[in-house]
Amino acid sequence: MNDTLKPFYLITAALSGALFGGGLYISQMIDPLKVLRFLDFSAIPSGGWDPSLGFVIAAAIGVMFIGVRIANKRQTPLFNGKFLLPDLKNIDSPLIVGAVLFGIGWGMSGICPGPAITLIAFMPENILIFLITMFAGSFLGSYILKWMTPRRTNHNGEQAI
Amino acid sequence: MESFTPLSALLGGAMIGLASAILWVGNGRIAGISGIFGQLLPPAKTIVWRLIFLGSMIGASYLAYYFLPDLSVVGGQQFEDIKLIGNPIWIAIAGLLIGLGTKIGNGCTSGHGVCGLARLSFRSLVGVVIFFAVAIITVTITGVAR
Repeated sequence: MNDTLKPFYLITAALSGALFGGGLYISQMIDPLKVLRFLDFSAIPSGGWDPSLGFVIAAAIGVMFIGVRIANKRQTPLFNGKFLLPDLKNIDSPLIVGAVLFGIGWGMSGICPGPAITLIAFMPENILIFLITMFAGSFLGSYILKWMTPRRTNHNGEQAI
Repeated sequence: MESFTPLSALLGGAMIGLASAILWVGNGRIAGISGIFGQLLPPAKTIVWRLIFLGSMIGASYLAYYFLPDLSVVGGQQFEDIKLIGNPIWIAIAGLLIGLGTKIGNGCTSGHGVCGLARLSFRSLVGVVIFFAVAIITVTITGVAR
């Protein structure tokens, strides 16, 4: 059987997804306005700035940093044959172009992909417009990426990220 | 700073970090949401775990709301008030740019931001600095947070 269909692999995915969704709710990062109030640095002088998002990311990186140390001591992950490490290291034009486009969209909406999908639980008005166009953008982006990087290859044909 | 919620931010952030650590140590996978949904589309190779991850993410968030409706009101914002900013065209353009950008740049706030920085990836650091800077400039120019 394919490793990715084994029970422990799927249970791990479920547990991870549940913690992720619970964390997005508890940290209130599913609220677009809360995210925008962090990104609005023009509110710093007036005292209206909300630093919460910075605390969310710092705490997440801190815990994940320990996870990375634990994983580094192992040859393989617990329930899979190998660590699927992103094999890209260099700073290339797709990274820069992609980060700029994502930054504009994120600044316009206050929604990044995690909260976008998690908001399905609460179905605020127009969320389906956002999700459909985000999926369409991702699909279109895969062709633009291929056109920009004709020689880039991925291990077993699948990107790690 | 009346809407600053440091405790729920730290707790929620730690949960997101733990989610990423579990997926990495357990399955050897980066918990990057744009990548997890982006590869549901053809030519998709592994669909089942991705759907289970995303379904659990949605379900757990709903359960958290069901059992802890007050936590989200810490910032004075009623949960029912959560809404998307802008008209449908604005929302569609934002969604399209986010889908395009995360695919072309190979990651979003979770993949580059949490996992990449924790792995001390210089490539992710460059991506994170650019998308945070561009988002901050966009919010300042458009005034959407006001």
